[in-house]
Amino acid sequence: MLTTSRRIAGIGLLALACLAAAQRPPARDAGAASDTIKIPFESYTLANGLTVILSVDHTTPTVAVNVWYHVGSKNEVPGRTGFAHLFEHVMFTGSGHVPYGLQDKLTEGVGGSNNGTTSNDRTTYYETVPSNYLESALWIESDRIGFLLDTLDIAKLNAQRDIVKNERRQSVDNQPYGRVTEILAQATYPAGHPYSWDVIGSMEDLSAASEADVKDFFRIYYAPNNAFLAIVGDFDPAQAKAWVSKYFTDIRRGKPVTRPVVAPVTLTAEKRLVYEDKVQVARLYAQWPTVGETHDDVYALDVMGAILSGRRTARITKALVYDEQAAASVMAGQSSNEDVGEFQLVITPRPGHTLTELEGAADGVIAKLKQDGPTAEEIQRALAGEEFSFLVGLESNLGKAMQLCDGAGFHGNAGFFKTAYQKSQAVTPADVKRVANKYLTSGRVVLSVVPTGKLEQASKPAESKKVTGDSLPSPEVQR
Amino acid sequence: MNATLTRFTRTSLVVAALVMLPIALAPVAAQQTAAKPAAAPVKPAAAKPAQAAPAFDRTKIPGAGKTPVLRVPTWTKTTLSNGAELIVSEKHDLPLVSFSMSFMGGSAQFEPAGKRGLASITASMMSEGTKTRDGEALSNALQLLGTGIGVSIGAESGGVGFGCTKTKFAQALDLMADILVNSTFPADALERIRAQRLVGLTQAKAQPGSIAARVFPRVLYGTSHPYGAMTTEESLKAITREDVVALQKAYYQPGRAVIIVTGDVNAATVKATIEKALAGWPAGGTRPPFSYPAVPVRPTTTIYLVDKPGAAQSTFAIGLPGPPRSTADYYALQVMNTMLGGFFQSRLNANIREEKGLSYGVNSSFSYGRGPGAFRAGGDIISAKSDVALIEFMKELKGIGGARPVTDEELKTAKDALVQRLPATFASVGSISGAITTLWTQGLPDTYYQQYGGAVAAVTTADVVRVAKQYIDLDHLAIVIVGDRATIEGPLKATGIAPIVNLDIDGNVVTVK
Repeated sequence: MLTTSRRIAGIGLLALACLAAAQRPPARDAGAASDTIKIPFESYTLANGLTVILSVDHTTPTVAVNVWYHVGSKNEVPGRTGFAHLFEHVMFTGSGHVPYGLQDKLTEGVGGSNNGTTSNDRTTYYETVPSNYLESALWIESDRIGFLLDTLDIAKLNAQRDIVKNERRQSVDNQPYGRVTEILAQATYPAGHPYSWDVIGSMEDLSAASEADVKDFFRIYYAPNNAFLAIVGDFDPAQAKAWVSKYFTDIRRGKPVTRPVVAPVTLTAEKRLVYEDKVQVARLYAQWPTVGETHDDVYALDVMGAILSGRRTARITKALVYDEQAAASVMAGQSSNEDVGEFQLVITPRPGHTLTELEGAADGVIAKLKQDGPTAEEIQRALAGEEFSFLVGLESNLGKAMQLCDGAGFHGNAGFFKTAYQKSQAVTPADVKRVANKYLTSGRVVLSVVPTGKLEQASKPAESKKVTGDSLPSPEVQR
Repeated sequence: MNATLTRFTRTSLVVAALVMLPIALAPVAAQQTAAKPAAAPVKPAAAKPAQAAPAFDRTKIPGAGKTPVLRVPTWTKTTLSNGAELIVSEKHDLPLVSFSMSFMGGSAQFEPAGKRGLASITASMMSEGTKTRDGEALSNALQLLGTGIGVSIGAESGGVGFGCTKTKFAQALDLMADILVNSTFPADALERIRAQRLVGLTQAKAQPGSIAARVFPRVLYGTSHPYGAMTTEESLKAITREDVVALQKAYYQPGRAVIIVTGDVNAATVKATIEKALAGWPAGGTRPPFSYPAVPVRPTTTIYLVDKPGAAQSTFAIGLPGPPRSTADYYALQVMNTMLGGFFQSRLNANIREEKGLSYGVNSSFSYGRGPGAFRAGGDIISAKSDVALIEFMKELKGIGGARPVTDEELKTAKDALVQRLPATFASVGSISGAITTLWTQGLPDTYYQQYGGAVAAVTTADVVRVAKQYIDLDHLAIVIVGDRATIEGPLKATGIAPIVNLDIDGNVVTVK
């Protein structure tokens, strides 16, 4: 959307930017830490399967309500991609007893906020409201889970379908490098694999979704036994429990949810691709399949990302941006979904430097890391910010609510944040060396995005296979 | 990867919150007067029981509890021996500290003509090394403290700051002081940063939102007004190390600085810590005046079309120069804009996104600074419906000026949204610091937040209509549209709304075939 002028952003941004700056990861400051890493909470489950998590913090008179459904784009089927996210939009169009628009009025309209997000693995709906509006927030959320289908019709679906298509145009089709995510997903995962398509889906699939598809999807996944409700902030727990009981206990349990069995993915050889785009500057992407959220290697993979890029002394950043001055920017890091993850490298060159040259230089840095491993101080630097960034996350009721639900949904333990922190702090140089050798192999996807007509700007152009719009979901199909 | 998609983007609200108080807010769907097309969401309907018979009436909207008392943070003010002001606000629930030092004035006051980008580059150069630590040593020292020091210079103010845990505050403060006082500005670092900025500028020219963000101010203010000045390849290439050193010396002076420390510190003792850390920073500097040249007289409403061949969407920026933050109409403008385009159910978004499905989101805002910041309405519109969207934008801009009456409920919702959002403004050490910084940079009273609710409450429907008419002058709008000229120019012309002038991506008028 729009931004206002840079003139004002200048200073206000500072405070936030400084906080954000240190959010990169991770701290091994022996003494400090740990005792400050806490979120007091209680959790219980209703007879219908809904998990309820309460965490009281009276610091600010607001309450966050987060409803976390264990469904995302990986629960879709080929030919119906983009569904979970389309559904997210439909969930804001009113339900049996809550007319369209009232949710916004009872959240933004009283000084709060609301939104929803969809990932490959989960969908969340949330609002932060002044604490005296907690009951209406619970009423709204219970109505969505219990009575959405009462008012859902094809007209509502079509209206949201148009908006989602505009979202895709804005965030994918009309953005330089906008299609990279879906190209990499298709290249990394075999056809039909639940992570082989992008969350937003294709225009064709969005067009194809029928009213019946949507209703079936809702009945399977938007049930209390597949949901987690977190209430975090300034409230009275006894009162909150009474309201949860009042609004949620009569929502019917759904059928048991069958989760897709997601096979880990490895690539036996390197795939080299080139994509022509409306860009001014060529860019190199490399992606290795790794592991997801529920695998312990993610902690070392995260640390490895901070050792390779980010601050100026991170290895690839130092080599390519500072010492050789051949790249304008470099990003490397692990991205973890629930079942799978990817380690990604992105390099934007400076004029006069080729992607081939930069790929070679980055590979050289990686080879050295694989051979020698990092130093103890590199680990220490990478981990030092973790306590701070965790504490910053605790300032927001919504941030806490997300944290608690992710733990409950992905790990069966709302308090998992503490375990994650400890595991991260325990990462050693040997761990990083091991995961570098295990995952940063020749089994990867290397994608060059080049300006239209400039295929020769690809890294190793002769070995790179051209991917076109034709091999991808069509960018535009009229209904 | 790890893509996460949302119902709508929050960018504008985030920026708005930084600016001043939130813009956020507004009306109710039931008040839409426009006919809803078949695709529109259903009307509020009588509910019907669905599942097991509920033991209570679900159609009844739960009432709100007692309104929480507004707790505005308190702070202490003092002056350091070098002349910088010090403001400390204690908050002890988490062991966090936010440190920010703000300077009055920015690129609009300190950047020489033809050197656009110098202020920003100077800020970046501060972290490139000091007399005793090179850039790598600084970076490593900060990483080990789990923090980073941000340095920036905006158009009217700049700053240096960091956030950290309580135990690291004194050490981080020493590094900040080293950067502030002892930076060495190595010449090779300038070349590296310049090269990176040039790549960034090149990339921006492929991004429709960035193109609109560059061209819109230029159209409104012209290149000779600081608000319209644009960073270009030429201006970046013209910057020398001497320019950087001179700007740093002229700019970073305690006489125009305020230091704001928020968080788990003691107001009584923190001053001594800061005095000690900044002992090497000599007194000097005054606050610059904020005088601006006259804004160019706007011609009659014109469409400025920037060609982006094949674009899937057209990026709209519609507006004109507005009032400075000091305007007495500020509260009325905030209430008005809230209804018009400040939040999700605002008139613009409810119509163009929700009813017509032409966009992923549209909005409007005022940029408040010391000078005539812009009013801007816009968003990204599906190419094939650019003409339809323009008609709807114009309809809503006219509507808020009286053509579509403001209802009492609409007014109340906008005011509630603005006022009741205040507590969330003080939820983190960073946001408290930002709120105090705003008071200081805009010259607002310390009691501003206590008075805010009353000032908003006093806004009437007549005020809303008056400021809409006054500040959204329908006869002199600039309508910047970045999109696929081949397909949108004809339909835009056919609307008869305004003549079309073609611009290149730098905002220069071009003749097209």
